Amino acid sequence: MVEIKHLTRYYGKTAAVRGIDFEIRDNEILGFLGPNGAGKSTTMNMIAGYLPSTDGTVIVDGFDITEQAAEAKRRIGYLPEIPPVYPDMRVEEYLKFVAGIKGIPAKERRAQVESAMERLRITDMRRRLIRNLSKGYKQRVGFAQALLGDPKVLILDEPTVGLDPTQVMEVRQLIRELGRDRSVIFSSHILAEISAVCERVVIINKGKIRAVDTIEHLESSMSASTVLNLTCEAGKDKVLRLLSDIRGVVKVSDVREGEGRVSCKVELAEEKVRSEIMSVLLRNECNISEMSMDKLSLEEVFAKITAQSDAPGGLQDLLDETPEVPEEAPADEAAGSNGKEGA
Amino acid sequence: MFSLYKKELQSFFFSPFAYVLTALFMFIFAVSFIIPIGGMDSNELKFSFPNIFYNNFFYFIFIIPILTMRSFADERRSGTEVLLLSSPLSVTKIVLAKFLAIATVFLFMMVCSLFFPLVAMTKGTIMWSSLICAYLGFLLWGLACISVGMLLSAFTEYPIIAAILGEIVMEGLLFVDRFAGTALVAANPKLNSVITWFSMQRRFVYFSQGMFRLEDLIFFLSVTAVVLCWNIIVIEKRRWSRG
Repeated sequence: MVEIKHLTRYYGKTAAVRGIDFEIRDNEILGFLGPNGAGKSTTMNMIAGYLPSTDGTVIVDGFDITEQAAEAKRRIGYLPEIPPVYPDMRVEEYLKFVAGIKGIPAKERRAQVESAMERLRITDMRRRLIRNLSKGYKQRVGFAQALLGDPKVLILDEPTVGLDPTQVMEVRQLIRELGRDRSVIFSSHILAEISAVCERVVIINKGKIRAVDTIEHLESSMSASTVLNLTCEAGKDKVLRLLSDIRGVVKVSDVREGEGRVSCKVELAEEKVRSEIMSVLLRNECNISEMSMDKLSLEEVFAKITAQSDAPGGLQDLLDETPEVPEEAPADEAAGSNGKEGA
Repeated sequence: MFSLYKKELQSFFFSPFAYVLTALFMFIFAVSFIIPIGGMDSNELKFSFPNIFYNNFFYFIFIIPILTMRSFADERRSGTEVLLLSSPLSVTKIVLAKFLAIATVFLFMMVCSLFFPLVAMTKGTIMWSSLICAYLGFLLWGLACISVGMLLSAFTEYPIIAAILGEIVMEGLLFVDRFAGTALVAANPKLNSVITWFSMQRRFVYFSQGMFRLEDLIFFLSVTAVVLCWNIIVIEKRRWSRG
């Protein structure tokens, strides 16, 4: 439905988004995840046609956003980070105005506005001045605006920020409903939200895509680095020495000692190393009192992916089209190994 | 485009904005209407409406930047610019709709001011040809100033700064006439003719004398058109440079 090809955006000499590629498929909900300042909003603004791109294109349903702007924009509903509402207008009046500028025929406007208001449960607020609405309601009005014209693509930039938990649940439910018959891309820096709603996720950091994958795949591919919670009855030094001799143990952390026991977290390269650890420890007369597996939570996967290139790159690195910073390498590998499906 | 025009008009007329400004306009007009009447000597019982416009340009130009200050600055400030620019409307249509809305408010103010000639008509005779021409000239002058005011509003995020910049520029436009009259410029006829060509006041004088010259019409309309185009370019350019 939407193809994003080599999208790049510079602010002056600073690159906010650097050559990203992905696609939004028909009737899918795509999560767009990244820490603050990663280039999420810039990308969203470019897809919606608000900001022009320095390089690359966005093609919406076969229409180029810069060359056939009106046609492409007609297919998009966009809710920016700050809902674009006029404080001096009433809810219904505002929605009618938006229906007008979106080029919805006059006959259909009323019905469209009604159904959008019903969907967002703001019918009771139709006569209220937007200025007097709470943040949550303003957000809903902004959301209703995006639904006008029945766009095939919905772009939602952090739609749940500033809402109370019930409203967050409602918005998620709404996104799920809407995702049945249209493509939705929504951004967030909260992982739980993305995993609750989306099938696929694009992870962006520092203007580059770190991973494009399904949630499950991301979890499983990253859980290669399994963490083992280990408690055994032996001296600290002995356990650490034994563990460090085993191939496949990546890292031992969080070591605690007390009452003749040692507990620690052992990061494994592969799951099968676990049995080796068991046998080595038993052979050396260390009784294992507890051993459990922890899969990396999505939060940790996210932190891991976005942290991979956290080495402070200078301005020169940002300017460089192909930066040769060694820290960049693992990040690119990770993005590669996670399968750039959508790329 | 009509929706945007309608919304802009509503933002003027559904708030005290248009009425307060019209009241100010009427007040200035009323004062400058009374003073010449009070000062008429019994030999010559006549005064000129075009003169009211001409003598009070200085005051009238304060109104136009206030009218135009919000047009783009406010959109940017409240984040609604995104809505307009991501809608299927082109920038040209956005600028035109806003311009037409402000022009309509300006026209409304002028229609209100017809009250004074109508009052005068009950007690005397009006030279309609000169009056209509003066109104036409004032309208054209207003349109050119509105386009300038909108351009300045597109430069900034703060309506008040747009208004102040507007006052300064309008002042400058008025000053062109005086500047042409200085000894330095007057000494150089070529320079003088170039500068006076740009003087809006001088062109208004022809209108006020009941003289409708195609040249002046084209001058005002082309200034308006050029500034509006500049306006479109500024908005397009800002999309490139801001985030």
